[in-house]
Amino acid sequence: MTAAHSTVHGAEGHASPARLLRMNRMGLWLFFASDALVFALLLSARFYLDGLHTPPEVKQILGLVMTSILLLSSLTAYRAETAIEHGNIARGRSMLLLTAVMGSVFLAGVVMEWMLAEFSPGDGYGTAFFSMTGMHAGHVASGVLLLLMARRQASAGKFDGGGTRAWGASGIVMYWHFVDVVWVFFYPVLYLIH
Amino acid sequence: MSHSILRAPIVRGLFWAVVGFVLAAALVGGIRTAMGLDFWNTTVDWVIAYPVALLGWLMGVGVWPQWGREWLGGKAEPYALTGWQRYFGFSPDHKVIGIQYAVTFIVLFLLAGLAAMLIRIELAQPGLQLFTSDQYNAAMSFHGITMVAVAVATLLGGFGNYLVPLMIGARDMAFPRLNALSYWLVPPVAILLVIAVGMGGWDSGWTAYPPLSEVNKEGQVLFNLAVITFGVVSILGGINFLVTVTYMRAPGLTWFRLPIFVWGAISASLISFFFTQAFAAALLMVLLDRALGTSFFRASGGGSALLYEHIFWFYSHPAVYVMVLPGFGAALEILSHMSKKPLFAYRWAAGAMLGIVALSGIVWAHHMFTSGMDPALHAPFLVLTELISIPTGLIFLSALGTIWQGKLWLQTPMLFALAFVFNFLLGGVTGIYLADVPTDLHLHDTYFVVAHFHYTIVGGEIFALFAALYYWFPKFTGRMYSERLGKIHFWMMFLGFQLTFIPMFRVGIQGMNRRVADYPAAYGEYNLFISFAAFLLGASFLFFTWNMLASWFRGPAAAANPWRASTLEWQVSSPPPEHNFDEIPVITGDPYGYGGAGPAHNRPLGGLAAGSEGGS
Amino acid sequence: MRRDMKLMLAVWVAVTAASLAVSYFVLRTLSFPTPGAAEDGIIDDAFMALTYMATPVFGLVIAVLFVAMLRFRGSGGPEDGAPIRGGGTIPKVWFAVTTVLAVVLIVYPGLTGLIAIRQHAKPDLEITATGSMWQWTVDYPASGVKIAGAKELVLPVNQHIQVNVASKDILHSFWIPAFRQRMDAVPGQTSSIYITPDRIGDPSDAAYRLQCSQLCGVGHAYMAMPVRVVSQDEFKAWLVSQQKTAEAR
Repeated sequence: MTAAHSTVHGAEGHASPARLLRMNRMGLWLFFASDALVFALLLSARFYLDGLHTPPEVKQILGLVMTSILLLSSLTAYRAETAIEHGNIARGRSMLLLTAVMGSVFLAGVVMEWMLAEFSPGDGYGTAFFSMTGMHAGHVASGVLLLLMARRQASAGKFDGGGTRAWGASGIVMYWHFVDVVWVFFYPVLYLIH
Repeated sequence: MSHSILRAPIVRGLFWAVVGFVLAAALVGGIRTAMGLDFWNTTVDWVIAYPVALLGWLMGVGVWPQWGREWLGGKAEPYALTGWQRYFGFSPDHKVIGIQYAVTFIVLFLLAGLAAMLIRIELAQPGLQLFTSDQYNAAMSFHGITMVAVAVATLLGGFGNYLVPLMIGARDMAFPRLNALSYWLVPPVAILLVIAVGMGGWDSGWTAYPPLSEVNKEGQVLFNLAVITFGVVSILGGINFLVTVTYMRAPGLTWFRLPIFVWGAISASLISFFFTQAFAAALLMVLLDRALGTSFFRASGGGSALLYEHIFWFYSHPAVYVMVLPGFGAALEILSHMSKKPLFAYRWAAGAMLGIVALSGIVWAHHMFTSGMDPALHAPFLVLTELISIPTGLIFLSALGTIWQGKLWLQTPMLFALAFVFNFLLGGVTGIYLADVPTDLHLHDTYFVVAHFHYTIVGGEIFALFAALYYWFPKFTGRMYSERLGKIHFWMMFLGFQLTFIPMFRVGIQGMNRRVADYPAAYGEYNLFISFAAFLLGASFLFFTWNMLASWFRGPAAAANPWRASTLEWQVSSPPPEHNFDEIPVITGDPYGYGGAGPAHNRPLGGLAAGSEGGS
Repeated sequence: MRRDMKLMLAVWVAVTAASLAVSYFVLRTLSFPTPGAAEDGIIDDAFMALTYMATPVFGLVIAVLFVAMLRFRGSGGPEDGAPIRGGGTIPKVWFAVTTVLAVVLIVYPGLTGLIAIRQHAKPDLEITATGSMWQWTVDYPASGVKIAGAKELVLPVNQHIQVNVASKDILHSFWIPAFRQRMDAVPGQTSSIYITPDRIGDPSDAAYRLQCSQLCGVGHAYMAMPVRVVSQDEFKAWLVSQQKTAEAR
């Protein structure tokens, strides 16, 4: 969902950069709404399958650490976006990299959690836990790839000058925020409720 | 540039798909061997290798040179295909994509129709003649899902893509390359379904209810992957339409000056971007249950099959409106232009479409009155479902009011549009029996249901699709179809359709349940009759296919506006120039100003004045 | 114009009357499977009520289509139809009428039928039908008779029967056309329907068959068996014979 323009066809012909930006934003927001429903369905399935029960074996400390890292990565992503929009590409690049690294640490945490889990995917909670964390981790992994792509594009000079030219980067950062917000809902539902 | 067949986009796509699949499967096999498991496991291998193959296909077919290079900071190649080759490659032109969708899905329509003919041969008599029970289930399941895909995507994907930018005075869709990418996800869907049938098929119908879909043959896995892919097509397409219509309307084209077909397309898009993922998610859960041993739908692990039914129908009831709303739009459009009369109660019709969208999301459980769900849900879903008859009634008002006192030009498209009104009436009325709990207790899962949904989807949407096909054929191809063959097709299809499905209502009430290869001898006479009628229906498509092929290659050249219609697409040449409009038109009224009922739709293209060149 | 309207009204009345006549004299008498239970009346009456209510709607659409195709023909020439946009009272009236119709349908036969079908007395007999691929196990718990892979379903006449429907493996559905109602067999839960067979049934009648009506794979079409509704004495004798067969094993 990144670039809306094309070499031959498309909105470019009769849309100003500002309008193009609004179109891209609307497309991305519609995608978020669409994707959010998948997460909402998984979340409802968790209550349908296992009610409010959370087994005591859940690794609370690991979950808290992972959550903190992911929330922190939203901050660095935000700083990357503002830097690039203001034309500070070098700073933006390092912030994108930092965000991607934190995302990877989060993914490592998910893998660890799966290996340490003392419940099986065959019971109600396990079904919810593995599918919700799995679906979310898939999004985080794609987000990491997108962040690295944005960094590569920044290096190639695609965002030079900032402003509306920075859409590619800010779209990816918006996606990163979206994935984080999903976790803000998932974390209490998987770890905290009893 | 070399024209070697080996450099053709589709060949490259297939090559990289196979490479991707083999590499991923080898990797999975290696890991499995290291873990002491069998090298090959059909479920696991397909689930992991298919997405890799899909990526290879997309990149090979043109996403990489045209788009992917930019993702890594490079420069995309300029779009280079011309002439007929455009249709076999990654083209961002909405008109090319529209024709790609339309042709692909009409081929699939004929293929799934062939499956229906085989089904009718089997059902002509009690006992098993042509198929084993297993083969019957495979044929029935293939027919079902393929026709669902055809109904969802032909009008919206094909005609929507071609017509919406033209009708709103835009040069293309909002996201042209995303549009092309969406289309190129379709061939893998078709290929997967065909491979699945080759592997012996799957026997859970298009609904894929677990636990059956978690314990049956591996064809099910391919089905799930195909439908999930198709879901992505539907969602991306829906988003594209919504952004296009929101931001790319020509100056002066306010929301209530949009042609009604555009309203149909955006109403359907609202549903497809917001509900489709439910079906995909449900099938993903089935795959997780199968491959990882989760227990979404297995009672032994605390899951429930009813959870699947809720999620499935949460999409699949609205999906009916993804099929039918563009059908409403196309039929109303054609009724107005071919009655030479303004669309009656235009705003009410547009509002009714939005009303249907709103209601569609809160009626799903009327498919579950006999499922064993909580009986407390029966009354609310009965009430909500019956309410849909109110906005649907407004669509009928618009259709009937439009033809009343018009100048009905009974050419092939108009006949199909009028037949749509008749068929959808029967489909809608019989739907009430199924939304009513007591009658549904008996009629559920009988041939009454089969007849009902064929009346809504074939009688409604597919008849509207054929109306649209004949109506816009001159615009798409620049050639005129044969009116004589068109009328033969219409009358054979109309009569064949009525004779096939009217008796099904009765045999259903009588007690014949659906999805069976064999049935009690008591229903034999009716089924024999139904089968012969179905063959008549099937034979009508021979005339259709011949008409389309012969007219496309050798038909007489079509005028820019053969119907003297007032919407924008008829104010440009047939077929339209590459960028649609040399000058973006300015809109000064809605497109239904017939009989001097309002200002001309547009300038400088001329609006109704341009009609003088038409009239073949 | 007035002539067209008169013609339309005449066709409307004629089609409605004809449809009513067909519904009353043909559909009602010829289409339903043999009615075999006291509850059938609720369902068949609801069906006919909906049909009668649908006839004027059907008649109206047919009449407008017919008259328009007959009287409002054009040939693609330069003349246009009447410039009517229909923004006035007609849509409002139509909206009001269809809303009233929908509400009527919801109340009768919708909600009234739902309430009627839900009301049931204390059952005289309770049986459990458990589906599995591709057969039924029928359990008469009060008599200790349990038949796996049953070849027929035997029920007493004039007894109010609670049928518990369950499944061992995948979804199935319990349906006997003569008794109209059906219920899905869902793994992990038991759902019930209540039927009161009110006549001796002929098991060679296709309406008297217990048919699985939820797609369940290869054997789905053949997951059916005849239903025998017998007198209460005969039923008792049959239960005793089954108990003996079970003891003999």
